[in-house]
Amino acid sequence: MISRRTLLRGAGCSLGLPWLEAMAATPGAKPPVRMAFLYMPNGVNVANWFPKEKGRNFDLPKTLTPLAPLKDQITVFSNLWNANSKGGDGHYVKEAAILTCQTIRKTQGTDMANGVSVDQFAAKTVKNETPLPSLELGVTPVAIGVDAVVGYTRVYGSHIAWSDPATPLARELNPRSVFERLYRAASGQQADAAKLDTLLLDRVLGDAKRLRAQLGVADQIRIDEYLSLMRQLEERVKRASAGQQRTWKARAPIDMKDAPADRPSDHAEHCRLMLDMMALAFQTDTTRVSTLMFGNSVSNVSFRWLEGVSAGHHDVSHHQNEADKLRQYQLINEWHVGQFAYLLNRLKSMQEGESTVLDNSMVLFASALCDGNKHDPHKLPLVLGGCGGGRIDSGQHLVYGEDSPLSNLYVSMLDAFGAPVERFADSTGPAAGVLKG
Amino acid sequence: MKALWLLPVLCSAAFALEFDAAQRQLKKYCVACHSDANPVGGFKLSVVATQESFSTQSRRWTSLANRVRNFEMPPKGAPAPALEEREEITKWIDSSLHQAACATGPGAGPSPIRRLNRDEYAATIRDLLDIHLDLAKFLPIDGGGGEGFDNAAETLSLSPLHTEKYLDAAKFIMDYASREYKSRMKIFTAPAASKILANFLPRAFRRPVSLAEQKPYEELYAIARKQGQTHEEAIFFTLRAVLVSPMFLFRAEAPNYTGAERPVDQHALASRISYFLWGSMPDELLTDLAATGRLSDPEVLQQITKRMLRSDRSLSFAVRFTDQWLHIRELNGEKAPDAKLFPEYAKDEELSGDIRNQPSLYFRELLVRNRPVLDLIDSTHTVGSSNLEKHFGLKLPLDPGRRKQPQWTELPKDSNRGGVLGMPAVLAVSSYPYRTSPVLRGAWVLEAILGTPPPPPPPNVPSLEEPQPGHAKTIRERLARHRENPTCAGCHSRIDGIGFALDNYDAIGRWRKEDAGKPIDASGELNDGTKMTGPDGLKQVLLNRKDLFVRHLTAKMLGYALGRGLTLKDSCTVDAIAAEVKQNGYSMHSLVSGIVLSQPFRMQSPTPGKETVKR
Repeated sequence: MISRRTLLRGAGCSLGLPWLEAMAATPGAKPPVRMAFLYMPNGVNVANWFPKEKGRNFDLPKTLTPLAPLKDQITVFSNLWNANSKGGDGHYVKEAAILTCQTIRKTQGTDMANGVSVDQFAAKTVKNETPLPSLELGVTPVAIGVDAVVGYTRVYGSHIAWSDPATPLARELNPRSVFERLYRAASGQQADAAKLDTLLLDRVLGDAKRLRAQLGVADQIRIDEYLSLMRQLEERVKRASAGQQRTWKARAPIDMKDAPADRPSDHAEHCRLMLDMMALAFQTDTTRVSTLMFGNSVSNVSFRWLEGVSAGHHDVSHHQNEADKLRQYQLINEWHVGQFAYLLNRLKSMQEGESTVLDNSMVLFASALCDGNKHDPHKLPLVLGGCGGGRIDSGQHLVYGEDSPLSNLYVSMLDAFGAPVERFADSTGPAAGVLKG
Repeated sequence: MKALWLLPVLCSAAFALEFDAAQRQLKKYCVACHSDANPVGGFKLSVVATQESFSTQSRRWTSLANRVRNFEMPPKGAPAPALEEREEITKWIDSSLHQAACATGPGAGPSPIRRLNRDEYAATIRDLLDIHLDLAKFLPIDGGGGEGFDNAAETLSLSPLHTEKYLDAAKFIMDYASREYKSRMKIFTAPAASKILANFLPRAFRRPVSLAEQKPYEELYAIARKQGQTHEEAIFFTLRAVLVSPMFLFRAEAPNYTGAERPVDQHALASRISYFLWGSMPDELLTDLAATGRLSDPEVLQQITKRMLRSDRSLSFAVRFTDQWLHIRELNGEKAPDAKLFPEYAKDEELSGDIRNQPSLYFRELLVRNRPVLDLIDSTHTVGSSNLEKHFGLKLPLDPGRRKQPQWTELPKDSNRGGVLGMPAVLAVSSYPYRTSPVLRGAWVLEAILGTPPPPPPPNVPSLEEPQPGHAKTIRERLARHRENPTCAGCHSRIDGIGFALDNYDAIGRWRKEDAGKPIDASGELNDGTKMTGPDGLKQVLLNRKDLFVRHLTAKMLGYALGRGLTLKDSCTVDAIAAEVKQNGYSMHSLVSGIVLSQPFRMQSPTPGKETVKR
């Protein structure tokens, strides 16, 4: 006998939401939609990335083969690009703007300017519904200093999530601290401890106001930033209090005994653990928005540990059409896609009601360059995993007209997330065919 | 700022452009798109047609030079100057800007509010509470800006992650302090809460604190008491708030509405010097000097600088400055030598630790011993240990009682280990994790030592140095072919030669006579025809350009000291300090005191945004 669950599982995203809802454990309690972005530096080996056929009947090219079992829950895109990232240098301009679709200002740091990234745009709309507004993850530390050769601060290359044009969001690198953070956020505080924290935060907000009044105009901006973040924190402390006013409930328990190692043994394990943390955050509903950077801009992390690779990531991406380098480039790409598949599978294994967390998520795997050898921002490599709460018409290879805006995809994703917008950056409308109906 | 004012480097073009000739060049390439009638992008060339425009339009000029330097202008397809002509133009702009900016003498420049970075936060807590904990790991790693350091005010932004961590860290710290005898001594200086706060707050905020500012903390204490906390609990709770206050987390200076430059407030000066040389809060002596108004006295500043350099705390300056200036931190990241190829580095934590620490420990010895800054290029001494001795394949006269301990030691003659270029950390960080690269090493020397980074490679660069299957050519041969291409030759003729001179060092800095069975050829040639062989030859070349090096080091250190990017005006300060350093036999102390006594370090410019107000 085929259970309803099996039916649903096998059918990818093809089932509409109403039916799902009808079968959910709590009637009317629609599972939340989550949004994540996985960023891979340095572009792809183009020959093995884009499917040849468009529409539903497409064969997965070599690099995407790790996604084979998930084929009906992914969407592959061709011909989207990020017009605002075309000038400037080969990397920072592209990579800092992958989620903002703006042109970053060329600076060694004095006057950084980017846009608000799509994840943060989404996070702002649900910030009061979950303990953490968003979760920014990374694997390699912030690249230090300025790139004297091209004249950009490396801060640009180390951040894809920007809460405002001058504020890149710091990322968590240690899986253990992420876990502890999720654990604490999910378990909440005793009411009296929360009360004390609130008192404490009130006190420091008072100091901030006093300090602000003593400062020059330019310096006040920094204190305004502090004030706004401390107010947000105060809000969260209040909401996280385990008292009766707490409306949020973890959708799954977090057990301290599942805490990951403090120091992962290698790059591969590190990536896996961070993906586990993202999955856990989504499963428990500690946050609904997350980003992970597999590396910084121009990352030259050595991939010699990967069978068949003998160099660093950025070096290999400058393949000069040499067969051996292209082969290694493809292997590195495929490894990253394997990580993406790992995350999607994790989310798929997490049941919520009659659906899975993957059914209710959108995870975009993206690089800000197409062919790394050419620093080419046209025809970006993009794959969307998950069904966005049943809104995404997955299982297709969508081919757009040449140089269609990437921001159109973000408009569609924001819609599925429940934060519809008319425009995002240089968008011209939603990306056709992404959403159902 | 890039070292914009630096004049031609390793380059034969000796003559400088005249104003009229330069204007003709600009016209030739730019006016087609930037005429008054049809200014593309809103930029009219006529705006920068006068000598005065170097003062009145300096931002325009800077951006023009940058775009030309980076091959962004003239745009693809339009007639463009050849590399040499391009550089002639940009150098003319740089030096004209520099002259214009300096015509009115140096200035103080901005001193924006800044958050303590993670190292400063950890060190300040350590000194405030006398606790020794690895606190830095609590906080996110800071990016860098300005002159390339993680204390640059502008890039120290705040994320939700920070605020959350500050709140958590404060709790953790106070819980820990409550159990530590030494910390308790720092806190419980009196029986009454008001007195405790009156002693603690000025230390935490690094300035006198008014009763009005203290009162809300007393109230917080009182509330905690009312909630049933004991006196002690309530104190620790109140102090938690102090550690999350912006007055603790930020360094801010009261604005200057006098309309003119003035000496910065004494307590602010105490913090400036303390965070520069110690990376932490001022100690009692600095605070006393500030309170009695004596700190700004140049004599006192000079004395205090020497004393501070001798203190153990100056190690933090040496480590943070050196490791960021020379990019040593990357050895813990992307540049970590490949574990399979170099197990001796990866497996031997003592050796790899000694390697990573050598540059900063050496820098500190130069500071403490007041050696010449030129010892960074070449010297008779280094910091050695039994592990490094083995790595070098040398016999060092180490102290027999502590051979494992890194220490100041004399090098044998012809050791090839003098100066930073003989240090494995530098040689590794300027290599790939898996092999050496003359290009990376050459570019590293140009950027880190001379402050003249090569321009970015033009788009679609042809193949570099990787071996092609079937072609058994050496890197040297491949690079030679590369330089035959005129597009590549412009830069590579100035990069590659330097790298070749260091080819006797492998990717973890061991001396080698051959590579892959072939003898090393460490001869290199610069684009001006200078020939050199091996590290000694290279060091001679660099010493011949020592003024360039000293200016670069000065600019780097000034940028670190001020914690911000340098402005055109600051380039005049750099000039002045570098000249003084030269007069004082290049001594380290003259460099550090030159910075401490400089205008931007001691003075505060008028704060914009408000009419002059009597305070």
